[in-house]
Amino acid sequence: MKDFKAKIEEHKERFEKALTRAIDEKSLQEVRNTYMSRKRGALKLLFEELKTLKPEDRAEAGQMINKLKMHVQKKIESSLKKLTVPKPLARERRIDLTLPGQKEYWGAQHPVSLFQQEMENIFIAMGFSIEEGPEIETDYYNFEALNFPPYHPARDDWDTLYITDDLLLRTHTSPVQIRAMEKRKPPIRIIVPGKVYRRETPDPTHLPMFYQLEGLVVDKGITFAHLKGTLEHFLKTLFYEKIKIRFRPSFFPFTEPSAEVDIECIVCGGKDEECRVCDGSGWKEILGSGMVDPQVLKNVNVDPEEYAGFAFGMGIDRTAMFAYQIPDIRYFYENDLRFTRQFNLK
Amino acid sequence: MKISLDWLKDYIELDLSLPDLIEKLNMIGLIVEDREEQGSDVILDIETYANRPDTLGHLGIARELAAALDLGLKEQKWPLTEFEQKTSELVDVQIWEDDLCPRYSGIVVKGIQVGPSPEWLRKRIEAMGLKPVNNVVDMTNYVLYATAHPIHAFDLAKISGGRIIIRKANGGEVLRSLEDSDIALTPEMLVIADGKKPVALAGIIGGEESSVKESTQDVFIESAFFDPISIRKTSKKTGISTDASYRFERGADISFPPQAALMAASLLTQFGGRASEGITDAYPKPRKEKTVVLRHHRVSDLLGLEIDEEFSVRTLGSLGFQVEVQQEGVWQVKIPHFRVDIEREADLVEEIARFYGYDKIPASVPPLRVLEPPMEPRREKINKIRHLLFHNGFDEVLNFSFSDPEKEARLQTGYKAIEIRNPISSKASLLKTTLLGGLLENIVWNKNRGAEGIHLFEIGNIYFWQKETSREQLTLTLASTGPVGPVQWRRKSEETDFFRVKGALESVLTYLRHEPFSFKEEDHPLFEQKFSLALIFKEATVGYCGLLKRNLLDSFSLKDPVWAAELNLALLFKKQPYSFQYTPVSRFPSITRDVSFIADQNVDYQDIKEVVEKLNIPNLKEFDIYDRFSGSSIPKGKISLSVRFVFLHPQRTLLAKEVDELQEKIIDSLVTKFKFQLRKGGKIDKRIRKD
Ligand SMILES: [Zn+2]
Repeated sequence: MKDFKAKIEEHKERFEKALTRAIDEKSLQEVRNTYMSRKRGALKLLFEELKTLKPEDRAEAGQMINKLKMHVQKKIESSLKKLTVPKPLARERRIDLTLPGQKEYWGAQHPVSLFQQEMENIFIAMGFSIEEGPEIETDYYNFEALNFPPYHPARDDWDTLYITDDLLLRTHTSPVQIRAMEKRKPPIRIIVPGKVYRRETPDPTHLPMFYQLEGLVVDKGITFAHLKGTLEHFLKTLFYEKIKIRFRPSFFPFTEPSAEVDIECIVCGGKDEECRVCDGSGWKEILGSGMVDPQVLKNVNVDPEEYAGFAFGMGIDRTAMFAYQIPDIRYFYENDLRFTRQFNLK
Repeated sequence: MKISLDWLKDYIELDLSLPDLIEKLNMIGLIVEDREEQGSDVILDIETYANRPDTLGHLGIARELAAALDLGLKEQKWPLTEFEQKTSELVDVQIWEDDLCPRYSGIVVKGIQVGPSPEWLRKRIEAMGLKPVNNVVDMTNYVLYATAHPIHAFDLAKISGGRIIIRKANGGEVLRSLEDSDIALTPEMLVIADGKKPVALAGIIGGEESSVKESTQDVFIESAFFDPISIRKTSKKTGISTDASYRFERGADISFPPQAALMAASLLTQFGGRASEGITDAYPKPRKEKTVVLRHHRVSDLLGLEIDEEFSVRTLGSLGFQVEVQQEGVWQVKIPHFRVDIEREADLVEEIARFYGYDKIPASVPPLRVLEPPMEPRREKINKIRHLLFHNGFDEVLNFSFSDPEKEARLQTGYKAIEIRNPISSKASLLKTTLLGGLLENIVWNKNRGAEGIHLFEIGNIYFWQKETSREQLTLTLASTGPVGPVQWRRKSEETDFFRVKGALESVLTYLRHEPFSFKEEDHPLFEQKFSLALIFKEATVGYCGLLKRNLLDSFSLKDPVWAAELNLALLFKKQPYSFQYTPVSRFPSITRDVSFIADQNVDYQDIKEVVEKLNIPNLKEFDIYDRFSGSSIPKGKISLSVRFVFLHPQRTLLAKEVDELQEKIIDSLVTKFKFQLRKGGKIDKRIRKD
């Protein structure tokens, strides 16, 4: 009799466990069957077992089985009621959960504007502020104040679209250097993103309009080492930490000394003589820069004996082209959504 | 600039590998852009800069390399075979314009056999990518590419009266050039004339008549220095640019003319000629070499590292500068005439840095002495608008600022467009007065490539003349056509319509806190009649939206309707938004009442809204329309309108009775004003909403 009592207890425990695992109607019915099935349910078997007991124990044992039966019935009923079945489940036999989830549609940022923002954010983190200036400029701001004398052949490198003798479409964002320094005294730490124009016929690497990002830092004690440190940090953040960077001498009328900045070719790593991106040199020119020419500082009444500065500029679309291996700069301005929307994933 | 390695070796001993040589050149700023093997020779294409005319010849490149490699230059000898007559007796050189021609040297070589050049010379000329012409012409090119100094050879027999006059052209004079075309000369142009007429456009191109031909026997070699600005002006005006003018306009070496003349004469005597005695050299106002003071501490001040004085002295010396110590750390540096680029202390600092090696300068970050505001408010707003529009399902595009005059006319903005004087094409000769044209082109492009729903925006400037002033105006333009979003199994995508672009405009203004704004029905040249609204904020029209005119869409071959909106951001940003304030959330339940009316179909929602707003109902927190339809259940000419009112008191629970009264008041005034009828079955709903 003791054994039988233990057996009942064991069944009860097992039932409770099964019940906690049964989370839907189907599994609850299974649990019910396990106990209540008229053919081979656990309870039925227990009733059959009654015969094996001593006659005087049978009445008590029968009561215990009945009690268990009531318990199972009650528990299953209440669990079934508690089941919060989703509506479709209630109606359909089964829902196909492998169907795709709901797609929300959102617009995509243009890759050039996206890349511009990425660049801006790096400089903002370095304490730069963003400045803007007009796209229609005067000869003075675009050239003369930047130390391009009239009739100087250096102007040929900046093929210009003119509106009048004096008005032109700015060929670089550098005029904003002058405008910023006219507005306020150093320390200055700005970047200037914006559209610039050149008289160039469109081809895979040239456009008559593109985006540039200019930078200017003017303060006491600014050195070429600061120029290097700033641009290295920028390029490592924009590309990757270990990227190889090279500064080499160059010429811009508004900086002295001037430097051009190359980064290693991220396509071939300098290992492909035939590489289309770097022409096999292993380097890709990415930035023009230099220490602000003393004459430029004088032009805005900043004393070059007291202050020094550095400036830099780079093409935004051109850099994006290199970063994403886009073979033709014109793709950016076709505005083909199959092209532009990809950058949503960036 | 093409540089032959073979030729370079005439000037400097080179025993480093080609990659090392190229690396060396690159690191002193002479970028090798291309290289090409020609037999045993290698031709490098080196990028040169507008301020370094001295590097436009082999000698100049050799000088740079010599300094970089710490080598000397090989000396060159130019022996002459002479005949006994002074140059000045044969040619009378007169400079009438010594500002434009500060120096003019020359020499005569007689008895030349004009013919093909010897093999070594042909090779040099071919290395420069030129075709050999004859020994005299090839020799002049040789001197130019060797030394960067342009010279010219005249047929002495064609120099009338043996006179060379350097003067300005007379009005009406003409020069027949070597290219067989007549150049009309104007009085500001400098010419070389003989006793009668111009024989060359100074420093740019020689005349045909006095040029060296097969029949030529005696030549006069001109080796001069011309004013760079004068050369550039004339070159621009005549549209003639030559290897000579390219060098003169960048600045030649004023100390060099006699030497170049000597070199030319020596070469010609190798071809059988004999030179006149002494070089004639008109140099009325000899120029002194420039001196620049260098305070050596400025080198480290600018570069950010200490450089040994000894290194600086050695570098400047090897570049041909003479350094004289004025006092401790202060030097007088004499600049050779061939370095036209060096004028200030900073220029010398660059020379020292260049040869020290930019790679050896450390990298550090400038200290932050002042913190700048990170973002101009204008840009912050633009970013906000962008993100709002992405959420609204609009894709950003960027288009060129140029416009085709014919297309611009179709867009009828009423602005006076800005014209580009020298456009890249006649189809890109204006600056845009609206961004819409670009967006329509983008729609066409994408439609042609299978896209159906296209919803675009662009933020950028439009450009126009306002009286005499050029204006740039920041603008947002939207264009929307076709279904919104992808086809998916759960729900059908909606077609875009007017309310989508209107909604986008509304949300832009709302989120920039430019409220209250309103719309006004107003015809607009871009939009279908009765299908456009003007957007008004603080009494100004800041934008408009509507359905684009059929004929405009037809001209872009667009069959489907396109809805568009334009917002004058420049104007909007000038206006003050209201300042943001937090409002406490009421702890009490709000009461929502939904009411349905039968209304005349001509009643505008905006009018209803105004009536309700004017009532100034206390505790009416929200008022909105949530359903509007007509159909068989509604009488003809009428519509069913369902509106929702939400009442809320910040400090207590509103009583149903109070709300009933407020609601009655609203309904009464709407019924009186618009003759609304409460809809049958449109029972007043007394739900209580718990927010
Ligand atoms: Zn590569």
